[in-house]
This record gives sequence, structure tokens and C-alpha cells, in this order.
Amino acid sequence: MTRKTGCSRREFLGAIAATAGAYMARPVEAFSRPAPASPVTIGLCREYTPHVVDVLSTMFDQLGGLEGLVRGRTVAIKLNLTGDATDRFHYMPPEMTHWVHPQVIWATVHLLGRAGARRIRLLESPMSTVEPLPEFMVHAGWEPREFLSAAPCVEFENTNYLGSFKTYATFWVPNGGWLYKGYDLNQSYKDCDVFVSLAKLKEHTTAGITLSMKNCFGITPCTIYGDDVPEDEPGLFPNGGRGPFHGGNRLPPKSAPPPVDPHGWSHVPGYRVPRVTADLVAARPVHLAVIDGIHTITGGELPGYKGVRTVHPGVLVAGRNCVCTDAVATAVMGFNPMSMHGTPPFQACDNMMALAEQLGVGTPDLERIEVLGTPISKARFPFPPVFQSFGGLYTRRSPS
Amino acid sequence: MALNAKWVPMKWPCGPLPIALLHKSKSGAPGLGQTLEAWLQPSTLEFLKGSPVNSLVIDWAAGGPEDSRQQRAVGPLLQAGRKLGISFVGRITVMENVARATAAARAAGLSAVILEQPQVQALDLPVILQFPRDQVEWRATSAIFSSTGNVWPGVKLKTMEGDTAIAGPTGVPWVNSNGWFSLLAREMAPGKVLWLDVDPPASVGASHPEEYCLAVADARVYASRWIISLDDEMRAAVLKRETRAMDAWTHMCETISFFESHSDWSAYKPMGVLAVISDFRGENAFMGGEVLNLLNRRQVQFLIMDRPRALSKPIKGLKAILWVDAASPNAPQHAHLLAFVRQGGLLIAATYWGPSRVKPYKYDWLFGYDVYGVDKGRIVVPEKGFQDPYEVARATHLLVGRRNDLVRLYNPATTNCYPSIDSERHKQLVQVLNYSTKPADYVTVWVNAGASSARLWSPVRQDSSVVKYVAASDGTDLDLPTFAVNCAVEFERLP
Repeated sequence: MTRKTGCSRREFLGAIAATAGAYMARPVEAFSRPAPASPVTIGLCREYTPHVVDVLSTMFDQLGGLEGLVRGRTVAIKLNLTGDATDRFHYMPPEMTHWVHPQVIWATVHLLGRAGARRIRLLESPMSTVEPLPEFMVHAGWEPREFLSAAPCVEFENTNYLGSFKTYATFWVPNGGWLYKGYDLNQSYKDCDVFVSLAKLKEHTTAGITLSMKNCFGITPCTIYGDDVPEDEPGLFPNGGRGPFHGGNRLPPKSAPPPVDPHGWSHVPGYRVPRVTADLVAARPVHLAVIDGIHTITGGELPGYKGVRTVHPGVLVAGRNCVCTDAVATAVMGFNPMSMHGTPPFQACDNMMALAEQLGVGTPDLERIEVLGTPISKARFPFPPVFQSFGGLYTRRSPS
Repeated sequence: MALNAKWVPMKWPCGPLPIALLHKSKSGAPGLGQTLEAWLQPSTLEFLKGSPVNSLVIDWAAGGPEDSRQQRAVGPLLQAGRKLGISFVGRITVMENVARATAAARAAGLSAVILEQPQVQALDLPVILQFPRDQVEWRATSAIFSSTGNVWPGVKLKTMEGDTAIAGPTGVPWVNSNGWFSLLAREMAPGKVLWLDVDPPASVGASHPEEYCLAVADARVYASRWIISLDDEMRAAVLKRETRAMDAWTHMCETISFFESHSDWSAYKPMGVLAVISDFRGENAFMGGEVLNLLNRRQVQFLIMDRPRALSKPIKGLKAILWVDAASPNAPQHAHLLAFVRQGGLLIAATYWGPSRVKPYKYDWLFGYDVYGVDKGRIVVPEKGFQDPYEVARATHLLVGRRNDLVRLYNPATTNCYPSIDSERHKQLVQVLNYSTKPADYVTVWVNAGASSARLWSPVRQDSSVVKYVAASDGTDLDLPTFAVNCAVEFERLP
């Protein structure tokens, strides 16, 4: 069977295996049964106005409503506030370019509260700081107090370090994981009943796309997975970014779960970042994925990349399965979500959705995903393929 | 004869004395000796015509046999310079026979001398005292005084890849600036003028001539002056009137003239919600100074208070006080500080000297500090005293918080800013400096006030232009056009 996307499922899986060779099949034992499929909804929304609440409300209703998911429960929302608070594309505030917009956050929080969520926690791991998350937002020119009015019992947590807890929570990847057997995270990701990934619709210079799955890359604390961490225990302060995830230049502290195979270690970011992402969404399942594509950027995930420009897709995407949701969002961006390594948007990296599918998280196969609301064809806003500067052939070296 | 605060000083190395020192050190670029000879010629002064430079610093006495030859040799230069309205300041680096050297300087027509130590006896000329900057005797400072041991402003080279600033350990490029020290001098020696003595690294002029403009601006923004000092290659190139060198010289003169035409800005008062209190002397000099340096690098706006004089007036507009020294406040200061805390202020101190029976608590984001709630305010104290200035600056920044920012820069990259306000508290000025050799673009200045009549000033255009501003998050965003080294936004604060 050949698809409209130009790639059959058999070809897709075969090509993945051929590209990644033995690494793809080992050490993860692929699920024997097909990864689950789940409906995804698309809503058109031209601007960040109070109308966002109405659009999202309709979308959540199309997904079966939020009440059954969140009533009486603690909901944790991982926001997408990547980079420094003062980084802007030209003179534009970050929410119009590379951060999820406060209007979308507010609307999501409001609807979760309206559906009966007992407690809603806004989580993010802001760059290189232990400052409380509201402070980080203020630094960006936001007013975090507005989120407190969206629903009862709204809280904030900076998850880039230990925070208000005494220990980190270990999340083991089912079936062993691609790169690490598990990940140590801030307890906020454990002390919740429902986990929401609230992301921006963007491309990514290393991973091809950054949507609800890649947003979860930022749940990892840089006190463990950052550039300057001690060898035995987590650091106190998060410094810099997650260089070791990208380049494999060092291992996390011994207190954290070890790599799956330290001897079959790649240093290629296009190999590593999609695998870490797939591991994370398998270890810390996403119950609701919401993607803000009303205003965004193309050409990279941060404003500093050459060739970045603003775009206005005017779209929101949501679903209960992050792989399915990202697959639909990828299609909205004009790409084939089942593209192989070497094909846009994965010119120099592996397809994180396919890797997550292998872990049994969900399917990126559009033929198995029911799309609700606006059809993909009417929402499609083609993004030009991003220039991937960190790719290359996979190498196999031991970690230094 | 008196020191003139309007002097624009420039080092003028020439003659037998620096040549002898050059031979002794066996260093210096090839041909430097000839350059030093050539700069002795009165005709060299021609390139100063039309420039704002009006004071030349020459070597006068070092205690060696070359002193008398030097003093004779510079005679024609002094004569020609005076005709051009230039004043000369002689550098005396020996502590013996200072009176005799000074008398000779007066006889030769010099206007002042630079000395490294105060003199007991009266001298024939006004003295500019020069100190290593960590050993300034603030009470002994002259109307103009000078510091050595300053840094060459710019992005620290080890964090550069080519022309690109790369992230330091905290993701922020490491910027060297003397701004904090100029602010400290302003507080510790009020009404006096600081001359910053720092020479450029080799061949700055050849590779990045804009660094000279930055050296001027990094001093003048904070109301001090840089003793202009050209590198060896630049001095040789200027002699030959090489185009690139003359362009660099022209740009530097434009920058100096820009600040001369805005000399009223020096009277504007620094702005800050944080007061940093120390005596900045002796064993407190390092900790106090480095905390200022690091706070400035973090773009925290602060006011400096000299501990003995601090808190003699009511505290207005302050949100936080950092008491750096281990010494406790005196009784009146103690009363002022406690009143400040009780009304909601934040006090960060090396040891706790608040009310007894207050049990401390912790913030999970502030490691190693105890927090004491006292009425509406807080006293925050490190468990083991202040040890690392980096940690003190970081903790202070976290505690003061973003919500109390007076000014923020968006897309700051390698820029920093200095906010000040006129005595009527009506006109506010934000001067922005770019420490990179690449132009700064898309920088937005946010101020915590409504603004009107915003004007942009830049050395490139001697007149001002209108700058775009929009209301944004309880303040105003002002978008700056691309600029090379420095610019300033001046606006009226809305009530």
C-alpha cells in the first residue's frame, strides 16, 4: 500500500531500521502490538484574543471533554518558554515568536479549572536559573498574576533543579529506553495526576520539529543533565543548557539512571536528541498535548538562528496522545510525519515520533489518526525545511 | 593654578625617558623607539587640532639619569602645545626629590603632576594622585585623581570565537567594564573627577578601532574619564596619517565630543532600588568592589553608600539593602535599618543583628541563607557569612527580584545600560553600551515608567532623533536602532 504521503508503512519502518542500523533495534525491544492511535483536533484561530478560550473549548469537547480527565485531580502543565527571558526575535515579544502565548496558557488553565481540576501547576525549567518561575516570566515582560485568575489553585514551579522537594523522582523508560534507562526529574512531574504539554508549533535545528514531544526535553533538570554537573550527585544550580544530551560529551551524575549502552554511545545530536525526547514521553506520559501555532517562527526554535522569520499559521492543535498530536501538527506544517532521516523536516536527524512509536507511545501514521475539527488540508501552513547545522553521519564512540 | 575638571587627558609617550624604559624592558613593537622619538616633535601635535583633547600626560621623572634629558627634550613640545591651548601633566613615578621634580615641572610650564603617593610638603603644582584601584585612599583623593589596575572594557577574549561572543558559564557573555568602579568613585569621592588609567591591549587600533570609542564611553557614561592611550601600532599609524588610524581617531573624537556636549548628564543621579553599603576599604575593598562589579554585570541597578555616611538621611525609594561588611551598623544605622525592614524592606547582611527570638526559614531557591521575617520585611543572612562575591551577587539578584527592575534590556547580548535621572526626577536617561566589536541590533530598553518625548542620542548624530516607544507591562518599551558602541535614550517620566 502506498500512501498519499509517498511512503508506505513497510517502507517507513524498513528505512528507519536501515538508517539507524543496529542502534534502532537495540537495545529497545520493539512493542509487539501496534502503538496506540488517538484523535487529534485542529482549530483555526487568527489572533491571541479571548476567542482562544472558545476555540480551545470546542477542541477539547471534540476530544471528549476534559472533565473525565481532570476533575478532582492535580494537573501539571509543562510550558514552552525556551531560551533566555530577554531573547527576542527583532523587537517582538517571545510569545509572538518562540514561546507559547500567555493567552493560550490562560485559556488552557481556565478550561482545566472549569472542568474541575483541583490544582493546576505551571512547570518550566527556565534557562540557567533557580529563580521562581513567575520571576522568569516577569523578566520576559509577562504578568504571571494573570494566570492565578484563570482557575482556582494555580501554582508555579521551576523544574530546572530540585525546587521545593527533597529528592528527584526517577522515571524509568518502558522497555529500557533508547539512550538512558530512566531520567531523574523534579518531583512535580510525579506529583500530578494529569500531565499536559503546552507547546509552540516550530521547527528545530537539531530535531527537525519541536512540538508537544520535544517540549518535554525541557522537563529534565540541568542540575543533572546540564553542562557543569558534578560526577556523583546533582548540582545545586542549573548552568547553561543540556549540552550532554546533544553531544554526549559526559554522563549524568552517578545518582541518575545510567545510559542504556555507554559503549555504543553516539555523539551526534541528530541521533541523540530525538531519542532522549522519545524516551522522555515514554517515561513521563503526556495526557494532553496542546500546540500553539497562531503566531510563531520558521527557521529554528530560537530567535537567534540565521534565517528565522515570523509566520502566522493561525492554528491550534490538541490531542490526548502526544505522538499523534505532533504527527498532525507536522502535517499542518507541510511535512510528512513519517519522513525518514534525510527527508524534511528530518534532514539530519531521526524522526522522534517514529522512535516514540517503537516505545509504544503512539503512532504518527495519519491513516490511523482521526482528525477532528478543521481538516489538515484546510489548516496546512507549509514551513520551509529548516537548515540543520548539527546533523551528520552517526558515529559510535564511548562517552568521554 | 588649579586642576581643571574639564581636561580631556591623553597619554603622550615620547622622549628619552620612555625610550630608556623601553630599552630596559627589552619589549615593545619593532620601531617603537622611533615612534617615541617622533612623538617628541612639536609637529606631531598637529593631529590634535580640532580634537577635544586638551591635556597631555607626559613622563616627567622616574628617578634616573634620563630625567633631566627628558625634561629638556620636551621643551619644544610644551611650547608648541601651549600655543594650541593644551595643558601638560607630568607623571612623576619616583618618591624622592618630588619637590625638585615638581618645581622643574612648574618652571617648564606644566599644569599639574601625577604622583603615586600623597606628599607631606606643599608642592609647586597641583597634584593628581594615582592609586591602584583596590587601594584608593578615598579621603586623600585630589580634585582629579587616577586609578591603575583597571580593565580594558569589552567582551572577555576567552569567551569569544572570532567576532562572536560565546556563552560563559551562566550563558551570558563575560563583559569587562570599569563602570562599577566609576560609580564607586562617584560615591566615595563626591565632586571629584576620576581618570581611569588603562592601556589598550596590543594592536587594538589595527583590529578593532571601535574599542577606543568603547574605552571613552565606558568611562564617560559613569562620569569618569579615560586617559586616552593609543597602542603602539596606532601611534605609528597616526604619525603616517594612515586612513584607518585617522578614521579611528576621528570616531574616538566624535565620541568624546558627544559626551562633552552632554556634560550635564554627569550631574544626573544614579537610579536603583538596591543600596550596597560597605566602607570599601581595607579587607572590605575586594568583596565590596567585586559585588558591585558582578551586580553591574547582571544589570542590577544599585546605589552605592559609603558605610560611615550611609543612612544619615531617610531612605526613599529603596526596596533592598545589601550590607556587605561583617561589621555591624552603629546605633543610629541599626535603628534606620530595622525601621526599613519593619516597613517591608529587604535587608541582606553578613550576620544577623535583627530582633532576637525570630526563627529563620529557608527559600528552596536560595541555598545557604536564612530568612528572618521581621514585621513586613525580611532580613536574609548567609549561614557562613559572605564568602564568594559571585554568590553574594547572585543571591542578592534573586532576592531583589525582577519585579523591582527599573530598566531591562531585551536582546541584550553584550550590552549593558546605566539609568540616571535629573535632580527634578522628571527627565530620565538610559545610556546603553555595547561591549562587542559587532554592532548591537534589535535592542529594546524597557523602563518601569510611562514615557513621553523619548529622544535617542548617539555619537553618530550629534542631534537627537525620535525613538519609537510603546507601553509594555507596567512600563515602556523603547526600541533602539542598530548602534555600534553607545547611545542614550532620554525621556520624560509620566507621573
